[in-house]
Amino acid sequence: MPDATDPPSTIALIGNPNSGKTTLFNALTGSNQKVGNYSGVTVDIKTGETFTPHGKKLRVLDLPGCYSLRAPSLDEKVAVDALKGKLPGHAKPDLVICVVDASNLERHLQLALQIVELQIPAILALNMVDMAEKSGLRLDPAKLSEELGIPVVPMEAVTGKGIVELKQALRFPFPPAPEPSWVIGPEKSDTTRTRFIHSLCELAARRPDSHQLTLSDKLDQWLLHPVFGWAAFLCVMFAVFWAIFSFAQIPMGWIEAGQGIISGWVESLMPPGDLRSLLVDGMIGGVGGVLVFLPQILLLFFFIGLLESSGYMARAAFLMDGVMAKAGLSGKAFLPLFSSFACAIPGIMATRTIDSAKERLVTIFIAPWMSCSARLPVYFLIVPLLLHENEGSWKQALVLFSIYLLGTLTAFVVARLLRGKLGPDTEASHFLLELPPYRAPQWRYIIRHVLERGGSFLSKAGTIILGLSILLWALSTYPKADDDNTDPLSHSAMGRIGAVIEPVVKPLGFDGRIGTAILTSFAAREVFNSSLAVLFRIEESDDDEETRTTLRQKIAAATWPDGSPIFTPLSIISLLVFYIYALQCLPTSAVVAKEAGSWKWAAGQFVFMTAFAYVAALLVFQGGKLLGF
Amino acid sequence: MPLAHATDLAIDSTMTLNQVKVGCDVKIRILSGPGCDRLRDLGFCEQLQVRKLANGRNLICSVCGTRMAISRELADQVLVGPTN
Repeated sequence: MPDATDPPSTIALIGNPNSGKTTLFNALTGSNQKVGNYSGVTVDIKTGETFTPHGKKLRVLDLPGCYSLRAPSLDEKVAVDALKGKLPGHAKPDLVICVVDASNLERHLQLALQIVELQIPAILALNMVDMAEKSGLRLDPAKLSEELGIPVVPMEAVTGKGIVELKQALRFPFPPAPEPSWVIGPEKSDTTRTRFIHSLCELAARRPDSHQLTLSDKLDQWLLHPVFGWAAFLCVMFAVFWAIFSFAQIPMGWIEAGQGIISGWVESLMPPGDLRSLLVDGMIGGVGGVLVFLPQILLLFFFIGLLESSGYMARAAFLMDGVMAKAGLSGKAFLPLFSSFACAIPGIMATRTIDSAKERLVTIFIAPWMSCSARLPVYFLIVPLLLHENEGSWKQALVLFSIYLLGTLTAFVVARLLRGKLGPDTEASHFLLELPPYRAPQWRYIIRHVLERGGSFLSKAGTIILGLSILLWALSTYPKADDDNTDPLSHSAMGRIGAVIEPVVKPLGFDGRIGTAILTSFAAREVFNSSLAVLFRIEESDDDEETRTTLRQKIAAATWPDGSPIFTPLSIISLLVFYIYALQCLPTSAVVAKEAGSWKWAAGQFVFMTAFAYVAALLVFQGGKLLGF
Repeated sequence: MPLAHATDLAIDSTMTLNQVKVGCDVKIRILSGPGCDRLRDLGFCEQLQVRKLANGRNLICSVCGTRMAISRELADQVLVGPTN
């Protein structure tokens, strides 16, 4: 009898993609889960805890979805290693719960049988039985259990039906390791396994008419149509970007108003001086300049979660396969690249689902050119300047859409060149994609995921960005000018750095202050806004009437020493182009180094992208000037 | 010219999944080629019934109630015959 001081036993959840593993994992572990992940594709192992009906603690591993233990792709290899106990930091599981979709037994049992052949104690979780029985399938769990030699629990993880029965099955002692009855003699296991599954399904899962057109089939006739499908795809993508641009206005107004109230409150409490300036201009201004974009970032993650959860993302990958092929990639690269629009880090991790090693490297290389959400604050600050109007119009959505398009198209061109240079794969891999049925989105899951992302953005704003804001404020305040005649900024450390940088960035149409802001944003892109807030506020701080106006109005009014405006349409476009291409994110480079397996890739990518950004911005500004803009 | 003999009617009457008309139900007879392990893992097994739903760059088929998109190269490795 194991007592409470024993280390908890480990159970692993495994199953085909779309069998509902993660839903079951969430139902088992509740809020006890440790590692956040991004929705749809489980590429890393999540762990959580659950309790048996007798109160014994169990560690639960959620493995990435896989079709087979033969493992051609990396995420599947992770699952296989975990099952065999080869993964560092995770014990070999004492029990495996095989999650199968009841309406797809013929396919999902392939994996279940392979696990039984490993002779690890196993339980079959027959998931989504309600849907299967609604479609006319007659299931016989008792017969299945008898034939397979392992316990079978029919359940519906989404509604929580069958969870109690599953926990009952997890009681000690675990069921004994099964004996695969179908492995007889030296015959190839594939054929005997297939034959066994076929006879099993005829016994225990009888299908009345295997091909009825489901609602998903009917929807797919339109959504995968060569003409209407593309129209729908473009509408969906444009609607997502438009919604991000316009819906976020209301909460953004609240955040700006709140920031104004707090600054005003601090100013009314404190006498003018360095400390007040640090609090108001440095900390509140710097962090507020980034925080205001939280609603937009949350919305972007919300829409990506919605598309994945509803099943549309696989359709998008199918449609995009032809386009991606022109760049030397396949439809499998669509999801990682689309996720990179939210953040390149989960996007790069999602490339593990790509079978071909070379295609994976190329996808990793170009992923940072999908404009991530950290660039959004910069775009949102600058794009309205270009159009001389307030935020939220359809014209801005159009400009934003073309920004995304430009980054993506260049990425595809580079991918094509790089793919040609790397040569063909040693092992041919082909496009194979499951199109899951359309489902109602799992709201709880999406909302939790969005909140997680928001939390990590807030903690970044509270740590890195706050720290850098304080540093920037100090650099732009000290050393102080001795007399009142000299400009305090140009005398400060920041002003001097700016003066050094100015010759480098002037050909791009930027002054030293923008150059300094760009330099600081190499730590994280959003810092650009904080830097501008700090740099421009100090310059005009002696004008009390103007201190309440927004940052955008201030930088719009900024001029060169000769009085001409800095932010002409041409220099704004040049700045946008620089931000589209520059790789200014240390965490991304770290993940690239890890996933690509060498620092050379990360370093080469950084140098290439930064140089490309500089040259592109230079060409835009100088070319535009020559053309007379 | 020597005449070819019809040795096995079942094998001789097969065609690849690419040659099947959209909307037809067929039964998988033989998988042959480098991708056949992967195809079996995904549920394209001998004796299973498949319905072809769409043609194009990639085919869409329905196997046991699931829609799968597979490339033409892979579909060439799936030999199918009439359902009965």
